[in-house]
Amino acid sequence: MMLFLAFLLAGIGTYAIRLSGIMLLGGDRKLPESVTKTLRLIAPAALAAIIANSLLLDGGDWRAFGAWQIAAVVATGVALWKRSMGWTLIAGAGAFAALLLVGL
Amino acid sequence: MSTSIPGDSPYPAPSRLGVGRTQWVDFAAGARAIAPLDPGSFVFGLAVGALVQVSGYNSVVGMSGSLLVNAGASQIAIMEGLRIGAPLVVVVLTALVINSRLALYSAAVSPAYSGFPRRWKLGLAYLMTDQAAAITLQYQDRYPDPVRRRWFVLGASLTFSCAWFVGTAAGILLGPVIPSAWQIGFIVPLMFISLMVPSLRHRAEVVAAVTAIVVAVVFKDLPLGLNVIAAALAGIGVGRLIK
Repeated sequence: MMLFLAFLLAGIGTYAIRLSGIMLLGGDRKLPESVTKTLRLIAPAALAAIIANSLLLDGGDWRAFGAWQIAAVVATGVALWKRSMGWTLIAGAGAFAALLLVGL
Repeated sequence: MSTSIPGDSPYPAPSRLGVGRTQWVDFAAGARAIAPLDPGSFVFGLAVGALVQVSGYNSVVGMSGSLLVNAGASQIAIMEGLRIGAPLVVVVLTALVINSRLALYSAAVSPAYSGFPRRWKLGLAYLMTDQAAAITLQYQDRYPDPVRRRWFVLGASLTFSCAWFVGTAAGILLGPVIPSAWQIGFIVPLMFISLMVPSLRHRAEVVAAVTAIVVAVVFKDLPLGLNVIAAALAGIGVGRLIK
């Protein structure tokens, strides 16, 4: 079956991708400061890229302004205030549900 | 476990399944750290499972996607690609481009993983998602001992992926139970905001994030989700320029 074959090939490739940095950089030697500084920027850059792609865009087009972006602003505000993942999720989900209920 | 833990009791610790008490404590701490994201993992799995059902795919094959690939966005791309008749090679390459961001996380967590035995690296790599990697990076300094750290990482990675597996299975069995009017797709940006924003500290990180956002929308017309990869790389590059 075609779908299984696609999952199998993508699974093998994805596993190799997941292993790449761990195996290439993860030896016992100490990495230079410039490298570790770069590695620390990966998470904020990659996570922000996914946020922009899912929040502001919708399959290559602009996402219409509304509940998504307003709730995201609420979540971001709470995140900066509380510095807590749990509170951010609760505030964002609560704001989004409220906005949908009022028809935004 | 034969490995001794600093500060551990000199007496043999009570163990379950051959795993010592300290290891269970660290595993549970990892599970707790990622727990707020587990509902998101489950709900996103539910959506992907429902897609298997409404697309008319075989249930077992649909489930195998979560077990083999363990990366939701790419699984959706594969199912949608094949449904509209795209060639296998194109579909698989699209999935790999979407998942290429995991190479960045793999590099980012490599210092945290460096003291782990080889079989742990091989196992944890399979469980490495965006969320598990981000939690690993946030907590690595609190677990300087690599033995304790690997149990923490396992606790976070395994429970999050299990929520994903269970969610997918439930979605395949139940179908689209969540009304589309609820727009649960919002869970994706919300999960990533909750991972990124609370841990933003340094100016270089803020610059990297803002750059990535700008580049992702400016290059929105790039195919295959390449705008996300371009944005991440640009963010890292520009962030490096900040002292």
